[in-house]
Amino acid sequence: MKLEVGYIDIKGIRFGDYNAVEDGILIVNPEPLLEPVLEDPLIKSAHFEIATPGESIRITPVKDVIEPRVKVEGGGGVFPGMVSKVDTVGSGKTHVLRGMAVVTAGPIVGFQEGIIDMTGIGADYTPFSKLHNLVLVMEPVEDFKQHEYEAAARLAGLRTAAAIGELARELVPDETVVYETPTIAETFKEEWKDLPRVGYVMMLQSQGLLHDTYVYGVDAKRTLSTLISATEVMDGAIVSGNCVSACDKNTTYHHQNNPVIHDLLAVHGKKINFVGTIITNENVYLDDKIRSSDWTSKMARYLSLDAAIITQEGFGNPDTDLIMNCTKLEKQGIKTVIITDEYAGQDGKSQSLADADELANAVVTGGNANEVVVLPPLDRVIGTLDYVDTVAGGHAGSLRPDGSIEAELQIITGSTNEMGFNRMSAR
Amino acid sequence: MVKEIERAGIPVVHICTVTPISMTVGANRIVPAIAIPHPLGNPELPADEEYELRRKLVDKALEALSTEVDDQTIFEV
Repeated sequence: MKLEVGYIDIKGIRFGDYNAVEDGILIVNPEPLLEPVLEDPLIKSAHFEIATPGESIRITPVKDVIEPRVKVEGGGGVFPGMVSKVDTVGSGKTHVLRGMAVVTAGPIVGFQEGIIDMTGIGADYTPFSKLHNLVLVMEPVEDFKQHEYEAAARLAGLRTAAAIGELARELVPDETVVYETPTIAETFKEEWKDLPRVGYVMMLQSQGLLHDTYVYGVDAKRTLSTLISATEVMDGAIVSGNCVSACDKNTTYHHQNNPVIHDLLAVHGKKINFVGTIITNENVYLDDKIRSSDWTSKMARYLSLDAAIITQEGFGNPDTDLIMNCTKLEKQGIKTVIITDEYAGQDGKSQSLADADELANAVVTGGNANEVVVLPPLDRVIGTLDYVDTVAGGHAGSLRPDGSIEAELQIITGSTNEMGFNRMSAR
Repeated sequence: MVKEIERAGIPVVHICTVTPISMTVGANRIVPAIAIPHPLGNPELPADEEYELRRKLVDKALEALSTEVDDQTIFEV
């Protein structure tokens, strides 16, 4: 598949009385954008706020971060099966509003969401502090079922991002990059025959109870491992439906900009032969874990891989899915590198993963999620601080009287991301 | 917890969904549970069938507890 991605650099966001992108500035007229959001009977109120890098702003509780994109040419539309009709994406031309994101915020369950600080030490830990964020703050009606409201909030974010993306349809990109993924037959061509055949195994959070990921609109826990083109992922074929322990959950933005995919494509045909991407889930039944990892290893073999990079999403029992994927590939002679993060206790002295194996001998870590950080008080809060003590990573007394927060890194959206979309690691 | 209680001389059976983790941490008697969010039951079953399922798990655990083992053992239900 061949996808031309045109990047339009966004240098600022301001409110106005029309919606447009002019000279790199996104102008937002909230009313027409909020109308479809407020049509959902579960959403009581919604409004936009703007957060600029460096401002003294704390955004919480954060649900998802989404990059506005639009399909300009080629089949389908962004977020197929969610916002657009089900149709294969990943070919043609896509425009991206780079340097900004739509962030969804507001309470859902109260213990599953994260924090984005736009300045200070907290900002160093999250990549989203560097973006111009259009924050969609929502509040549920009084009597709601959390899983139904999660779906409503998820869709509201995706629809808003798609509507903003639509503003980029006619624009001339600042930069254009062409991404191309080969067919199986092409991967065997003469000029690549000496290059190692490398695959990417992308594990998707699918534990249920609002720990879900959607592929073309399908709940990933109801899928078997399958193949997907890297360019389909760029067009929003995979979206996030989870954010608990926000540090190592992949937001929709992470999927759209998956660094493993981008780095593999950058050296494809030069250092390696990037044969394909396998997606697999992380379910809560042991049989599912065995079945999905079996399937992953069958597909890796079918692709005749020499090596694979495996990325995890989340921690705890998914460590078993990770180790199963790793060992089943290694036992077939396929070398693996796993990217994970650690829950090694606040002092870093405990066992990092819940599961382990000698064959998992090449590990990249995104950092220790239990590490304690003190976030200074900031001038403005977008959303509410009501849940800081109960959110994963926080504890009773996390929110101090002066507005500072003492908590584990877990609480910061994207801080220990297991695609490597963060700045922490270890040697 | 499993290892510490056994260290005190009391045999333990670990009822656990993800048995590979139980093996990794060194439990000696392991009984596979149903699923991580509901290890000892299945909310999708009618109440009487679920009772049977729960009973079977506990019976298997008691059987495991009274069985001599010389290596880590998974007692399939």
